[in-house]
Order: sequence, then structure tokens, then C-alpha cells
Amino acid sequence: MPHALLIKFPGTNCDAETARALEAAGFTAEVLPVALLDESALDRTQLVVFSGGFSYGDYVMSGRIAQLITKNKLGDRLRKFVDGGGYALGICNGFQILAQMDLLPKASLIHNASGRFMCRWVPLKKNGSKVSPFLSALPEQFELPVAHAEGRVVTMAGDAAGYVKSGLAPLLYGADVNGSTEGIAGLQDETGRVFGLMPHPERFLFKADHYDPDWSGAEQGWGYYFFKGAFEAMTA
Amino acid sequence: MSDTSQAVFRHIPIRDLSADQLLALSQQMKLSLSKVDMLAVQAMYQEENREPTDVELEVIAQTWSEHCKHRIFNAKIKHTLNGEEEVVDSLFKTYVKAVTEKIWKDKPDFILGAFVDNAGFVRLDETRAVCLKVETHNHPSAIEPYAGANTGLGGVIRDILGAGKGAKPIGSLDVFCFGPPDVKESDLKAKDVIHPLGIMRGVVRGVRDYGNRMGIPTVNGAIQFDDTYIYNPLVFCGTAGVIPISDIAKEVKPGHWLIAAGGRTGRDGLKGATFSSASLTTDSHEEDQTAVQIGNPIEEKKVADFILAARDKGLIQFVTDCGAGGFSSAAGEMLSEVGGEVWLENAPLKEPGLESWQVFISESQERMVMAVEEEAIPELERLAAMFETELCRLARADGSKRLKVWHYGSLVCDLHVEKLHEAPRREMLARWRSPAVKEPKVALKPSSWTETLKTILGDFAIVSREPIIREYDHEVQGNTVLKPLAGASGDAPQDGAVIRVAGSPHLMAMGCALLPELGKTDPHAMGRAVVDECVRQLVAVGADPDRLAILDNFCVGNPDNEQELGALVECTKGMAISALAYGAPFVSGKDSFYNYFVTDEGPVSIPVTLLVSGIGIVEDAAHVVGASLRHVGSKICVFGPTKRGLRGSVLGKYVSGCGLEAPPEFDEAEALERYRKYHGLVKQGAILSTHDVSEGGLGVALAEMAFSGKAGIRADLDRVPAEAGCTAAEVLFGETPARLVIEVASEHMEAARQAGLVVIGESTREKWLHLTYAGNTLIDASVAELKAIWKSGLTPYY
Repeated sequence: MPHALLIKFPGTNCDAETARALEAAGFTAEVLPVALLDESALDRTQLVVFSGGFSYGDYVMSGRIAQLITKNKLGDRLRKFVDGGGYALGICNGFQILAQMDLLPKASLIHNASGRFMCRWVPLKKNGSKVSPFLSALPEQFELPVAHAEGRVVTMAGDAAGYVKSGLAPLLYGADVNGSTEGIAGLQDETGRVFGLMPHPERFLFKADHYDPDWSGAEQGWGYYFFKGAFEAMTA
Repeated sequence: MSDTSQAVFRHIPIRDLSADQLLALSQQMKLSLSKVDMLAVQAMYQEENREPTDVELEVIAQTWSEHCKHRIFNAKIKHTLNGEEEVVDSLFKTYVKAVTEKIWKDKPDFILGAFVDNAGFVRLDETRAVCLKVETHNHPSAIEPYAGANTGLGGVIRDILGAGKGAKPIGSLDVFCFGPPDVKESDLKAKDVIHPLGIMRGVVRGVRDYGNRMGIPTVNGAIQFDDTYIYNPLVFCGTAGVIPISDIAKEVKPGHWLIAAGGRTGRDGLKGATFSSASLTTDSHEEDQTAVQIGNPIEEKKVADFILAARDKGLIQFVTDCGAGGFSSAAGEMLSEVGGEVWLENAPLKEPGLESWQVFISESQERMVMAVEEEAIPELERLAAMFETELCRLARADGSKRLKVWHYGSLVCDLHVEKLHEAPRREMLARWRSPAVKEPKVALKPSSWTETLKTILGDFAIVSREPIIREYDHEVQGNTVLKPLAGASGDAPQDGAVIRVAGSPHLMAMGCALLPELGKTDPHAMGRAVVDECVRQLVAVGADPDRLAILDNFCVGNPDNEQELGALVECTKGMAISALAYGAPFVSGKDSFYNYFVTDEGPVSIPVTLLVSGIGIVEDAAHVVGASLRHVGSKICVFGPTKRGLRGSVLGKYVSGCGLEAPPEFDEAEALERYRKYHGLVKQGAILSTHDVSEGGLGVALAEMAFSGKAGIRADLDRVPAEAGCTAAEVLFGETPARLVIEVASEHMEAARQAGLVVIGESTREKWLHLTYAGNTLIDASVAELKAIWKSGLTPYY
């Protein structure tokens, strides 16, 4: 059974439901306060998860302090973990943290075009033919909730279009949600084992959690299939 | 700067002062103590044959403040109702506690705690209880909207963390009363008053930034806009929590250490309890800034994670939050039975140089105080390091029955715990006489009923709160089953929220209601109607009508004005009648007085405002019912009679004459029977969707159901069960309580009819609202057009 390690910073607040979703998909999940994090923690896990929330309050650039503290504690150990076949996932604030770790294609997450925090459901579509374990059990189009103030992906000129073309941006919004360049909602590395996204798959684990009580897209919420896809790839 | 390693305090001679000198001293020290109170304090010290320290006077002022002691709710009130005199021996005992005690006898297994702890508890399932607490933060929000609302929510979250041995917060509700956002700057009649737009934006962002960072979904709320709230905005913040039933009981015993955890202590939030127990003035905007606390939600998140982990390990014997009065109230409460010693120098400070009284009463945020056994301390320290929060040994309970406070070796406070809590009882005067009907502010001459519906859908009372709701994370924790906005496009209004509780087969519904417009002319009717609306919301979304609990939160203007206090008395009476009839116990509540402001043109008071919020048990996820139409071709039914009367209604603001002399009547006993029958239908799976008929009446309720985007409605209002003589206005826009509009699939109509539901029409493929009455078409409009008016009402302002 693959093990997932969820690193919890002061202000991380989606760790419990993310752990629940991982367990539902078959993982064993362990929430680890960052005060207890050291390099050896990566030895006991196959998946490192940065959950959503407001690490250290996000008063400076979102995720910045969490990224610096992780770097300080793990050095290049996380890079080695990924190179050795490990998986890393960042959701929302976790994506903001992961985006600064040089594990994903270069991009920044800045304030939404509206300038506001926004909690709503968004249409999403898969993009490209790259192997993406996290999306493998999902259909071409689906929905998930988002809740963020800084979810707009920006890159150096032309990079975003390149990511869409190459498949490094495997997840796009089906509508303009936050002004994200090329509608990018998620990014992955070349292997697909490192994945970051703004939407919250852990918040749509159960069918009943859709806003429309007549929703009948699948047996479970789409979020379940997100984690299930990763589980299947890791146990294949 | 003072020396940082010694106590800074002084003795204040009061034994030889005259009554007037005592009052002057109270005012000079901003103690908010009356002449009678000061005389009682003086007698206490004459008996002890010594002079008080400034620390002691501050402790007494905080403890006796209206904010902490609810002395008006416990006062003896001589009340005159339309010329008849009566004596109310404590509003709290008579109309709140007595109601709950009666209901408790019938539901001993359900009600697990009321009034004694930081929140009231009811049973969720075999092993878990849910609890709810609502607080106001009006004065701070008036002078510093962002920080005031921010710490308002932060404070009530700590109430939940400090309920029992620590409950886990699982959902918040926020209710605001603001001045209209379109009020002209030139209409503000006092300097330095913040425009309602500034108040609204600041308050919403304050709530957003605390709730979102804490990871607690803000799932429910309400906003009222009225001129009377321009100078005194109201900000109610509420949080619900879940706790193992075995962790509800708590006790401080001699020998326990009192450990403070969380944020450091500073000069922010000095004298908040006494500040909020006086009226606001223009000077408040300059002088009372230090009374507003500064919030740091991450500090609170860390202490929350710590407290819940410590509770799960069985390390906590008692826990409470540092709210109004800071350490003095937390330690004072915890030592109120046994007594003990406090060491102020152990408290970590934000800055050096605080005087002794400042350390003891500072309301710096994000602090919790636990009572623990000595053996538990090493494990607590390990957990504190893990969650990166700070601990200190603040005090120790000793059984001496005295509250002794030390600061660097000096005894700065030495009070008998029982005397400290013996505030003199207030005696007050109240009277109420129903005022004459007022002419409406805007005389509207509708060209058609459709135009009237459009006007009402665009009224600030009705328009969509979406721009604000979207700023709150209402999905975090992944358990929000019924969201504040739902329907096929995810933007239609709902009656309440339903939250799944991890690990439980049952769910928790949350709702809230307030109707201040009705209270201006008929506070008694408002008290009843508000309880009904909250109960009805909870039942509508799927809660069991026999497993509900409610909270009463009052905001009042000047209690020394007999008419205003009289309105409160009447409102309280009405509320008690309905709560008792519904068997819905008050498990907690709070009151806020002195919500009046002296402008250049004289004092402006708020109307007596009662917020009733509630939680209910939803037995099964299949029972959750939304307020948005789901299918084409289903039957649209009304459940509950429509009565004559438009007083207090939204339409009443626009029209004059007929119907305004009285509010519509309703009968709680009959309503409860209907709610039970409705719940039976819910359990059978016969209900597709349900909307409560509230502000804007049936016309607005039907339109809002159609905002789901799935269907239109064609209905014949002649079929609406209505009292003889009802006008079209009363049928369409009257706000008779205790009514539901229900969508039923045809195959379940037989059961629905037997329960008493009356079919008035059906849902149509054409997305159109078509309502006829007495042979005429009253409403004829596309749902899209109506929805656009409703949906965009706040967007220019927020």
C-alpha cells in the first residue's frame, strides 16, 4: 500500500480532508507537522503532499516561507526523492509552495485578475497526451471547486503556451476563472510524478458534495478519481 | 519606559470618596461602573479596611461589565405595556433559562449542556455532540471594521476551542447589519464615522481573512441594510463545533496548573469589555483605538491544532479562551470556585514595559488557558513544540477561594472569588406602546405586479449576497453538503447549510434569522417570527424538527431609554413563546447594549435586533433538501396558511395604507405539526426542493426557487391557502411566518396531499415565472430577467 506524507505548516488547513481522500483511494496517509520534518521522513513515503491552506499566513508571496523552510530542512533531498521515482503533489497553497521548488516548469501564481479571493466550482479539461497519473482516471472534462486569492498562473513570455503545447500544463480551466495564462489550472513535470494544481480534488470526494443534487457524472466525486489515478499508477 | 522586571501598579484611595467622586473616578479610569457599582466596591474595601490597587479595580470593572456579566438581562425590570405595569424578574431567567429548562425535561438525552460553558451542546450521535456559539463585535467593527470583524470571528472560534475540553470548529456563520451602501456621504451626521461601504468592505474582508486562514468553512449568514445601522453597524460571528460527549464535562481542582497557550500579551485590546459596555461617540474614533484587538489567525490555527491534539491525548482538565477581560476573566473564571495564585511575569509579552493591570486584562488575541495536572506538562510541551505554539505557567489553583495575582514578587491583586462575582443587581424601567403606522419612505406606484416584484428582488433586503459569499471559503474541510449557493448553476440561494461531520452517520444543519424591520413596530411579533424562521430553515434543509437547538443574540440601543428597553422585553417574551412551542431550546446566547451613537443631530439608536441562529440534526445525507427547483413537471405546493397583514414586510417599505396596521398572525403549535409532517415526507424521499417563505413573501420565494436554472413556475395563487379577505399584495408579498414552498414529484403527491400540502402550480420547461390571481396575470416575467436583477444588486457596491 503506497504511503503519503502530508507536510503540515503552521496555517496548512486542508491536510485532514486530503488525508481522508488519499485513504479513500487506498493510500496510507500521515500528516507530519513541519517541526518534525527531516530528511529521513522521505524514506518512508512514496508520495509527498503539500496540502492547501495559508502556510505562515501567506502574508508575503503565497507559499514563500513554507518553501524556504522546506528547502532549509530537506535541501536537495526532495529532488533526489522525485528523481528516484517518488511522487510530489501540491494542491492550492501546496501548488504555490511546489511552484517555487524547481520541481515544476517555471511559473508563478499571482493575484487573481479580479483581485479577490474566490470560492466557486470551475469546469476543467485535460490537455495533451503526456502521461499524467493524477488525471488518468478522470474524463476529458470535469469539475472541481477552487478557493484562492492567488491562483493566476503567469510565466515568462511564451512559456505558458509552450507548456500547453508540450503537455506540461495537463489541466486547463474550461472558462476564465482567475486570468490564468492560457487557462492553466495545473502543471506537471516531464515525468508526471510531480503535479501541482489550484483546484481542490479533496473537496469533491463524495457525490453528494456537488452543488447540484441531481449531479450524476460518476459513482464518486471527481476528486476520488484524481487520487485513485495516482494510486493505480503507483501500484501498477 | 517602565522597568521590565518589576510590578507597576498603584493603590487608589476610594474609601473616603463621595458618591459623585466615585463616579468621576469610574469615568476617569473608563471603568464603565455606575455610581451604585462604585459604592458597592467602596463598601467592599471599607470592610477589608484597605484601598484597592488599580489592578483590582480593573478586574472588578471587567468582571462586572455588561459584556461579561449581562447585568441588564439579569436586572429587575419594571415594565409598562400599553399602560399595564408588570415586573420582570430577570429577562434571562424568565424568558430564556426557564424555556430551556422546560424543554430539557422532555429532551434530557438531546440537550447536553446550556448556558454554563462557552457554548451549548446537543447530541449528534451516540458518542458526539455539536455546539454553537455566536458573539457580537459591534463597537470594534464600527471604529476599525477589518480588525473588529477579524477578531470577532477569531474570538468566537476560540469559544468553540474552549467549549468542553476543546471542540473542533466545523462551520461558521456571519451576520451583519449595515447602513445602506448607497447612503450619501453628506448624510453622515458625525465626523470620523466610516461610510457603510467602508464598513461593509472592511468587515467582510476581516471575516474572510480569519475564517479562511483558520480553515473553517463560512457556510451561513445574513445581511440587513437599514439607515439605523449607519452609526452602529452590527457584526455577529458564530462558529459551530463537534466534540466527543465524554469531553464535555470539565473541572478545575486545587493543584491544577493553569497553562496559557498561544499568542503573546500586548497593549492591544485594552479594556474591550468596558469599551463595549458604553455608547460610541465621535471621540471613540480617536480615543478607543487601543480597545480594538489585532488578529493573527495563524497564531490561532497553531493553538487550535495544539489544543485538539492535547485533548485527544487526555491532557486537558479544563480549557477556556481569553476573551473580554483577557487573563483576568479566563483565570478569574477558572479559579472562581477554588481560588489560586497567578504569576503575571510568566506571561510572554509582545513588548516590554506593560503595567501589571495591562498584562492581566489585555485582550490580546489567540490565547487559551488550560487547567492541567502537573504530570501532563512535559507532554504538553512536546505538543506545543510540534505545533509551534508557546506555553506558560500562568497560575495554579489552590483551594484558597482567593484570587491572588503576583507580579515580580508584589501582590497586585487579592480578591475574594465570591465577592468578585457579586455585582449589585440593577433595577430598570421599561415601557412599550405600539407606535402608529409610519408613512413609507418611498411611495411606490407600481405600474404592474411584475414591476413590483422586480423592485423587491432588487431591494437590498433581497438581492444576492454572492459577491460576499464567494470571498468566504465555504468548502474547506470538504464537508459542506448543502452550500450557501447551489442549484444547477451553483448560484441560487439556500435556506441554510448542511455539514457532514467526519465519522458520524448524522449531519449538522445551520441556519439563522433576523427581522429588525418588523421589530421597529412590533418587537413581540419579531421575537416569535425570528424563532420560527430559524426553526423553519433548519427543518426545510432536512433537520429533524425535534432535534434543534437555538441561540438568542440581542443587540439593543440605549437600555436606559425606557422605550428601547421595553422593545427588548417584548421581543424576549415573543421569542420565548415560540421557542417553547417548538421545543427548540436556547443553549447559548449573548447580548450587546449601548448600540447608539450621538451624532450632530442627537442620538441614533439601532432598533432592537434579535438574531436567532440554530443547529439541527440531519439524520441521513439523503434527507438534505435544497431550495432550488430540480425538475420540470413537478408539483409546486404551499404548506401553511397565508394571513392578512403587511407590517414589517419588504413590500411595506414601499406602499402605504391597507395591511400595515398589523403583522400577519401564525400559530406555532400548528406550524410544528406541519414541520413534523414535512419531515416525514423528507424521510420518505418525497421532497425534491423546499424554500422557506420569508422576506419578500411568496413571490420572491417562487422566483428564487426558479433561479436554479432548471425550470420555470406556472402557478395559480387562488389556490394558495389564505385567510379570507387577503389582498393580492398579501398573497404575493405578505410575510406570514411558518410557510414553506415545496417541489414534489407527481408520484409522491398522494402522500404530500395527505400531509396537507396544497398544490398551487407546477414547474415548467419554459424558464418563466407566470403567476395568476383572481383571473388576472400578476407576474409574467422570464426567470433570466428576474435573476439578473437579483444577482447584480450588490455587485456595484462590493
